[in-house]
Amino acid sequence: MKKTYYDKVHLWGRISSVTALFVMLSVPLFICLRYDAWPPIQGVIKGLAAVLPLYWATAVIEVVCYAPMLGAGGMYLSFVTGNISNLKLPCALSAMESSKVKPNTEEGEIITTIAVATSAIVTTIIIAAGVVLFTPILPCITEKDSVFAPAFQQVLPALFGAIGAGYFVKHWKISVLPIIIGIVILLAAPSTAVGLLIPFTVVVSLAGAHIMYKKGIL
Amino acid sequence: MNFKESPFMYLIAAGVISFVLAQSAFFLVKAWKQGKKIGIDTKVMRDTISSSSLFTIAPAIAIVATVLTLAYSLGFILPWIRLSVIGNITYEATAAEAALNAFDANLSQPIDNVKTFAAIAWVMTIGSVFPLIIMPIFLKRLQGKVGVAANKNAKWTDAMSAAAFIGLISAFIARSVAGAGKRDVVGDGAGVLSVITLAVSIASMMLLRWICVKFRLVRLEPFAMPAAMLSGMAAAMLFARILPESIAFLEWRG
Repeated sequence: MKKTYYDKVHLWGRISSVTALFVMLSVPLFICLRYDAWPPIQGVIKGLAAVLPLYWATAVIEVVCYAPMLGAGGMYLSFVTGNISNLKLPCALSAMESSKVKPNTEEGEIITTIAVATSAIVTTIIIAAGVVLFTPILPCITEKDSVFAPAFQQVLPALFGAIGAGYFVKHWKISVLPIIIGIVILLAAPSTAVGLLIPFTVVVSLAGAHIMYKKGIL
Repeated sequence: MNFKESPFMYLIAAGVISFVLAQSAFFLVKAWKQGKKIGIDTKVMRDTISSSSLFTIAPAIAIVATVLTLAYSLGFILPWIRLSVIGNITYEATAAEAALNAFDANLSQPIDNVKTFAAIAWVMTIGSVFPLIIMPIFLKRLQGKVGVAANKNAKWTDAMSAAAFIGLISAFIARSVAGAGKRDVVGDGAGVLSVITLAVSIASMMLLRWICVKFRLVRLEPFAMPAAMLSGMAAAMLFARILPESIAFLEWRG
């Protein structure tokens, strides 16, 4: 049977994910080998104990939540290159919106892959250029008293305001409930991390949309 | 010995970054070819590349800023590697801090012990690799189920996709309005500037879309979103300058 484009993407994605896993693990391994510096295992376990339960649980939630939006190629690329919620996801959403394609279609798959791949390449180049070339001046831009500092401190509201606007106008009936619930949760527990808040707002949004759909309101 | 910024560390970084670029270029070329095959207009794909590049610049500079934040303690190379592969702004700082705390250190002091440095590299790496383990196993099945559900009822699928997006975006909107930040990080919590940025960003997007539709400026549509985002950031800079400091940097949630 002839392989579809999706089959091929999953094959490439699986190979590249496993390769990425080995590439990543080789970084601390090479450091230990090169400097003959093997850290005490208790220290590593203590550090991992603080982050692992939350980060691995968040990883499962993120994979489930982002899968319908990012497509197969976008998912494999995003989870290797990182910076998903603050960069790859908004970029993919923006590209689908501009190109007027829908998720879970082949067109959506192509556009999200192009958007995420472009974003990954540009990000990698900017970070590399930033580190190598602009190290001397970047502290001036990003330091506390810099005129640019407030802009970088507010990257996320700027990003999600721009993305949200399109959706809120088109789907205002769906939008009201998850925003209110998100705010209510934060009023009760202000320090809730966005990663933990997302499952609540996504479930509330889906449940609200389902009820409205069933009642013929949408 | 400066083990944090040695030629060996640069070599590792070069290897990791080459892998990321090669993988992204591979998927980009394959998607482009498939797009042409199924009849997506080349202009649409070219516009996607332009707008995605533009969209990426500001957040990428913010990521460079995170590298700098971590560099004082860890040097430039390790944060650079970690933020180029899987890492993200919030995760890396937290993982590094957790690892440092296990060795009675923190991010505000330079690491001069190579074993501690190696331990931090292990914690940051192991903490973040889980998606690379679960995705090759589950993603195809997960997306297959999504695809079956999508084909059954197109209207509900549209609403469901929109609702999932909106749910996700809502979390960030809510955080900009009511989330508490770290007390020692200016601009991390909800306050005057986050709400102004959010409002300007939303208003700019609506205005730009209206202009595009009203004057049929189809070519400008892909740039509406990055332009709205930059407007929001510009507003943050402007209001930080013109408002009294006690108001501009007021964060009601810490």
